[in-house]
Amino acid sequence: MDKSVIVENVTKKYKLYQNPSEKLLDIILPKSYGEDFYALRNVSFEANKGDIIGFVGVNGSGKSTLSNVIAGVVPQTEGTIKINGQPSLIAVSAGLNNQLTGRENIELKCLMLGFSKKDIKNLEPSIIEFAELDKFIDQPVKSYSSGMKSRLGFSISVHTDPDVLIIDEALSVGDKAFAEKCLDKMNEFKSQGKTMFFISHSIGQMKQFCEKAIWLEYGQIRMYGDVNNVIPEYEKFLNEYKKMTSEEKKEYRDNSLKKQRELNLV
Amino acid sequence: MSAMMTVIKEQIANFYLIRRLSLYELKSSNNNNYLGMLWELLNPGIQITIFWFVFGYGIRGGSDVEGVPFFHWMVAGLIVWFFINPSISQGSKSIYSRIKMISKMSFPMSVIPTYVIFSKLYPHIALTIIITIIFQFSGFPISVYYLQVPYFMFASVILLLAISLITSTLSTIVRDVQQIIQALLRIMIYMLPILWVTFKLPESLQAVMKLNPVYYLVEGYRHALLGEGWYITESISYTLYFWLIVLVLFFIGSILHLKFRRHFIDFL
Repeated sequence: MDKSVIVENVTKKYKLYQNPSEKLLDIILPKSYGEDFYALRNVSFEANKGDIIGFVGVNGSGKSTLSNVIAGVVPQTEGTIKINGQPSLIAVSAGLNNQLTGRENIELKCLMLGFSKKDIKNLEPSIIEFAELDKFIDQPVKSYSSGMKSRLGFSISVHTDPDVLIIDEALSVGDKAFAEKCLDKMNEFKSQGKTMFFISHSIGQMKQFCEKAIWLEYGQIRMYGDVNNVIPEYEKFLNEYKKMTSEEKKEYRDNSLKKQRELNLV
Repeated sequence: MSAMMTVIKEQIANFYLIRRLSLYELKSSNNNNYLGMLWELLNPGIQITIFWFVFGYGIRGGSDVEGVPFFHWMVAGLIVWFFINPSISQGSKSIYSRIKMISKMSFPMSVIPTYVIFSKLYPHIALTIIITIIFQFSGFPISVYYLQVPYFMFASVILLLAISLITSTLSTIVRDVQQIIQALLRIMIYMLPILWVTFKLPESLQAVMKLNPVYYLVEGYRHALLGEGWYITESISYTLYFWLIVLVLFFIGSILHLKFRRHFIDFL
């Protein structure tokens, strides 16, 4: 089967600085200042065309970082990412200008994505219809509710016809009816052979939407496989993790981070 | 050299994008005001009035500048400052204030300062037209020297682009740069022959002031609007110096921009 996304040994390193002067020294001097923090460490996986892959993991496990790196928003520190086609990231109200109206935002966003004047004119009615904004479309976005913003953002992104779609918690604010509509749209994409990544804390949505799942833990892949294998394991872990006392949780975190740091990169 | 070509190619390939985005920029920065874009003209008008009152009426006692009324002399130079000042300060913060919104790598980031500068160009053109009309009916009619205005407008845009490429990159990496730029801009208006007459200063001091390429633009606008002569050819060595500076700034700006643009988001 055709591979659409190949992620190889991707590492994303952030620097933690004690104070602003360390940051400045780090920029100016060749010597490294500050403590390294790995949001992603040596992550590799492959996705086939038409896969719907869910990212699960506790807070701070690197789900959002990974989705940003795949979308090309954040550059990786090491490793390579090969994407067959154009990725598009949908996050809540991502890339909307609050001062402008919904209609103006549609044109603005499409322009930035490289669409021509004619394309935008053709796309506009269906974007507005899908977003169900009615007369609010000519109001400034700052007056929108969070659900309206995410509907508009989702609507623009799906209409720009991306090859790889990354949905970061964007559906959690919409109501059930809109989520159903998005599911329909996603199934349509799936039949067209588009790859989708889905990030959510809702296990229910995950089971409903995804076929495969990646379980991230402290920037590393703990498990990758069929959703019916990964999710039960993850739920089992969550239950155990919940039962731990706060000291045990801290110890677990420290141990995992230590293991991650000590990992030898080949 | 190849860095410069990359940036220039991006500007040309995305010219439609620049035009549309600059209109939205203009719109979104004035949407909250009831008078809207009128403020882009009202603000300079208020400043011209107060500068004329303080420097022309108060300090100079209403005396002429070599036969030219102070009001006309000042406005002819001040008009380009009203374009340069906001363009540099907005252009410098253009990248770090928009990087979140433009969370797309395929978007050519070098056009961000460009469209911000373009959004300042429209009010500048409108102001130039209004000033031309005022001059027409107050003793300085349109002359053949007005042909220089488009040239100096073009020169201003290119200089601003070169400067903003540098400052927008630096201020994204180190945010303090923005404060330094604001301070420099506040000083710069007094270091130019806009509000006070500098040609009585010693030659050496004037020469130092002329190192600032904006000096060239101010004098150029003044020659064009007041019909004083062909500044481009009369000061040909200064013209060459100006374009050399622009080239050097553009060269440094392109290299800096391309070197850091992939990592802009990490500096937030």
